[in-house]
Amino acid sequence: MNLKIADFFIGAFSGALVAGVVSYISPPFMPMLVGGLIGMVLILPLKIALMPFFGAFEVMIPLAIIGMTVGMGAGMLSTLDVNNIVIASGALTGLLVATIIHFSNKRYTAE
Amino acid sequence: MSKRSYDGVAKVFDYFAVGDMRRWGPSQRTLFKNLKGRILYIGIGTGQEIVNFPSGLNITAADLSFEMLKRSHKRVANYKGTINRCQMDAETTAFADNTFDTVVTVCVLCTVKQPMNCLQEIKRVLKPGGELVMFEHVLSKNPVYALPLKMMSYITEYLQGTYLDRNTVANVEKAGFKIHSHKNVYLDIVKALVARAD
Repeated sequence: MNLKIADFFIGAFSGALVAGVVSYISPPFMPMLVGGLIGMVLILPLKIALMPFFGAFEVMIPLAIIGMTVGMGAGMLSTLDVNNIVIASGALTGLLVATIIHFSNKRYTAE
Repeated sequence: MSKRSYDGVAKVFDYFAVGDMRRWGPSQRTLFKNLKGRILYIGIGTGQEIVNFPSGLNITAADLSFEMLKRSHKRVANYKGTINRCQMDAETTAFADNTFDTVVTVCVLCTVKQPMNCLQEIKRVLKPGGELVMFEHVLSKNPVYALPLKMMSYITEYLQGTYLDRNTVANVEKAGFKIHSHKNVYLDIVKALVARAD
């Protein structure tokens, strides 16, 4: 698969995964903070699993941002009973982060 | 990282670098296409970058780890040029002053214990006007990208002996080199650099 296309899939998939797990755990206290922490921890093994196939930095940077932001957002939303919406918004956020990094990379490499 | 632990990393080195090689191959080929003269390739590792070198070069390749050198054998044998390998510490090589026209490093200055010592050693073995060709990753200047690099550096240091939070460009200039070509390969983290000793 084209690695540039894979970046977007990885973003969406990891966003959905973090949102799904945080939403499932539904942190009982300080949901935003705990959700962010769960996201950051969850993303670590995912990074190590994906890095050999898709490149270290190309996986590490977006996943670190997705883990924290999606985890925090999903933690906040986990108090509501809308699991599918949380997962979908996690996937969308992951995709958005991957897109922003894609264009940021274009700007840096064009310098 | 110690010689012994670097030997241990050799077993999984190729596996962890497959994705990087797929991503970085074209940029490395562009960077290496003008290599000339007597070349010192520091940190050959398992020799993954050899496929990106133009053929017909005269290369002396050094690495700290015997296990890494052992695993580079097939790639060295397949190269259409000359590669002589030796086991040496990049910070204290056994070469005489002004020996090489070009020194090549790929992810070396992020791994050696004392990057400044390594750069001084490179400067010593380079002939006057010689080129230092580097393909290295550095700490991003963008705080959004720098934070995950700083956090992950603790893990990569433990797993692979690689530091993700080094300011290699500044170190190169501090060591007395002048950067002649500076190209970002991925964000402002992975860079292709060419420097000359002042």
